Amino acid sequence: MIDEKMRAATRQGDISLEALSLQHEVEQFYYREALLLDRHEFNDWFDLLDEDIRYFMPIRTNRTRREQKKLEYTKDNEFAHFDDDLTMMRGRQRKLMSDVGWSENPASRTRHIVGNVLIEEELSASELSVVSSFIVYRNRLERQVDIFAGERLDVLRRAENELGFKIAKRTIHIDQSTILSNNLSLFF
Amino acid sequence: MTVEKTKTRLNIGADPREFQKRPSWTNEDILALLDEEDGTLDPRIYTDEDLYRLEQERVFGRAWILLGHETHVPKPGDFLTTYMGEDPVILVRQKDKSLRVFLNQCPHRGMRICRTDGGNAKSFTCSYHGWAYDLGGNLINVPYESEAFCSDFNKSEWGPTHARVETYKGLVFANWDKNAPTLLEYLSDATYYMDHMLDRTPAGTEVIGGMQKWVIPCNWKFAAEQFCSDMYHAGTVSHLSGIEAGLPEGMELSDTKIPTVGYQFRAKWGGHGTGFYVGEPGMMLAIMGPKVTEYWTDSEAANRAEKHLGSAERARQLMVQHMTVFPTCSFLPGINTVRTWQPRGPHETEIWAFTVVDADAPEEVKEEYRRQTLRTFSAGGVFEQDDGENWVEIQSVLRGHQARKRRFNIQMGKGRSGVGNKDFPGSIGYVYNEEAARGLYRQWIRMMTEPSWETLGP
Repeated sequence: MIDEKMRAATRQGDISLEALSLQHEVEQFYYREALLLDRHEFNDWFDLLDEDIRYFMPIRTNRTRREQKKLEYTKDNEFAHFDDDLTMMRGRQRKLMSDVGWSENPASRTRHIVGNVLIEEELSASELSVVSSFIVYRNRLERQVDIFAGERLDVLRRAENELGFKIAKRTIHIDQSTILSNNLSLFF
Repeated sequence: MTVEKTKTRLNIGADPREFQKRPSWTNEDILALLDEEDGTLDPRIYTDEDLYRLEQERVFGRAWILLGHETHVPKPGDFLTTYMGEDPVILVRQKDKSLRVFLNQCPHRGMRICRTDGGNAKSFTCSYHGWAYDLGGNLINVPYESEAFCSDFNKSEWGPTHARVETYKGLVFANWDKNAPTLLEYLSDATYYMDHMLDRTPAGTEVIGGMQKWVIPCNWKFAAEQFCSDMYHAGTVSHLSGIEAGLPEGMELSDTKIPTVGYQFRAKWGGHGTGFYVGEPGMMLAIMGPKVTEYWTDSEAANRAEKHLGSAERARQLMVQHMTVFPTCSFLPGINTVRTWQPRGPHETEIWAFTVVDADAPEEVKEEYRRQTLRTFSAGGVFEQDDGENWVEIQSVLRGHQARKRRFNIQMGKGRSGVGNKDFPGSIGYVYNEEAARGLYRQWIRMMTEPSWETLGP
C-alpha cells in the first residue's frame, strides 16, 4: 500500500489522492521535525535519524561559471561543515544536552521554516528522495541574530514511529560560502 | 597614560586628563599596553580603531602571513585568493612550479582582479576595463592601448603590488616587506615544534581539499593568543562538552582523565608559542578518536615519525599540541587543523581553516582525520563552537568603558619558564601558562613601536 502511494506521488503532475496524501504526509513530517528542533525537544529529533544516517553539509565556494559545476561544492573526500554518521551525531546530542555545552547553554532561539517540498523520486518501496528549502532564524543571548537559508536533499525512510519517517540521509546546501556566524551549533 | 593596574581601586568615572589627550598613539602609549613584569595587559589592544589601523601597517605590512598549503595549488595556473591583513591577494602556481603572490587589485582604478575563491587560470582579466595580467602578475594587455593611452604609458610599471612568498615544509607564507628577515629566520626556534605536524615523514604533508571560512565578531588576537598559549581553557572548563561529545557510549565525563603533564614553549624571538600534553592520551582520544590516536602514538607511521623527529617524546608522547606562528597562523599538531585569523576590523575576525595529513598516510587514516577534524575543530566543531562563544562575549563586554579600563591578568607562570628541559629545547614552562602569550604580545608591541628591522629583527 505504501509503495503504491509513493509510486503515484512521484509521477509528475499526478494529483491522485495517493499523491496528495503522501505530499501532505511528507510536509507534516517536516513541520513536526522543525517544531522538535525549535522547541528544543532534541532527544526526539535525534531519534528521527536512522542508523545509517549521513548528515552532510559541504562547503560552498565562489567559482567562475566555467568551473562552477566541477568545483562549487567540496567533494566527499574534502573538508565539509558537517559530515556525520550516527555515532558522531549522538556525540553532538550529548554536547547539546550538556550543562557545560556553552555554545547552546543558554540555548539559542531558532525558527526553522521549511517549504518548496518536492518529492523527487521513489528510491525503493520504503525510501523517498525529497528536496526542500529552508530558512533558519537564530537569535542568541542578548542580541545575536543569524539567518541561514538553503536546500535540503533528504532520503526519508518509512518508519514505525509517530511521524511515519526517519531521515536516512540529509545533504544540506547552505546559501553562504563564508559562514556569517560565530559557529554552527544548530541543526538544519 | 594612567590606567588601572591589577589592584582594585575606586574608579573616578572619567579621568579629566584623558579629555586633554590627542587621539593618536605614541610609542610610549603603546609600550605601556603590556607590562610583562607585572603581568598585565591593556584590553584596548582588542578594541581601539586607531591601534587597528596602525596594526594593519606595522604588523600585517611586515610579518609573514600564512596563505595556505602548497597542495592547495599543485598545478601551473592553480590559484587561491586570500588575504594578508585586510589586503586581498592572489597566490598562483607558476609554469616553473614556483609560487607568486600579488595584491588582488588592478592598479588602474583599484578593482579586484579576481573575484573567485580559486581554480585554474591562464590569466586574470579585470572585469572593470579589461586590463589583463599573466600568472606572474604582469600586466600584459590593456584594451585600446595604442589608440587611447598616452605615449609614456608603460605596461611593465602597472602590474599589481607583489609580495615575497616562501614556504616552510608545505605551508605557504607571504610578506610585503622587502627588508623583513627570511621566513626561516622569522620562524626562529619555533620550527622544532612546527615539525611535529609538518615533518613526521619524508613525504611531508598534503592538504585535505577545501577551505572553511566563518566569521567571529571578536579581535583576531583572542584567537591567536589562545592557540599560542592557552591549554588552560581546554584543561579546565571551555571544552568539557566537546570532550563529552567524543566519549564512547556509556562513558561519563567524570570517567575521563584530563592530562596534567605538559609544557609550554615561548620562541626566543618572534612571538611564536606552543603548548602540549605529554603521555596521557585521554584528551586526544576525545578529540580525534581511537584510529587517529593509534596512528599518532602506536603505529608504523609513529615508529617512522620517532626516527624522523629523533625522539619518542616528540613523535608519539606529545599530544593535543596548540601553536601560533605570529601573528595569525595557528594550528594543532595531531589534530592537524591549520588556520589563518583574518582581521576584519578590531571587532571581527574571519577564520580560514584547512586540515593537513601526512602525504603517505593510509587512505582510511586521511579519511578519519577529515571526519574528526570537521567534527571537532570547525564552525560546527564540538570543540570550536565554544571558542566562538567566549571570544564574542569578551569583545561585547569590552564595549564598556570601565571594562576597557581594567587591565587583564596575564601573570600565569611569570618568571617560571626557562631553558633546560631534557626533552624540549628553548624556553619551556608548565603547560598551563601565559609565558607564550606574553611573548606574542611583546612581539606585537615591538612591531607596533620599532620602525626598523635593524632593532626588530632576530
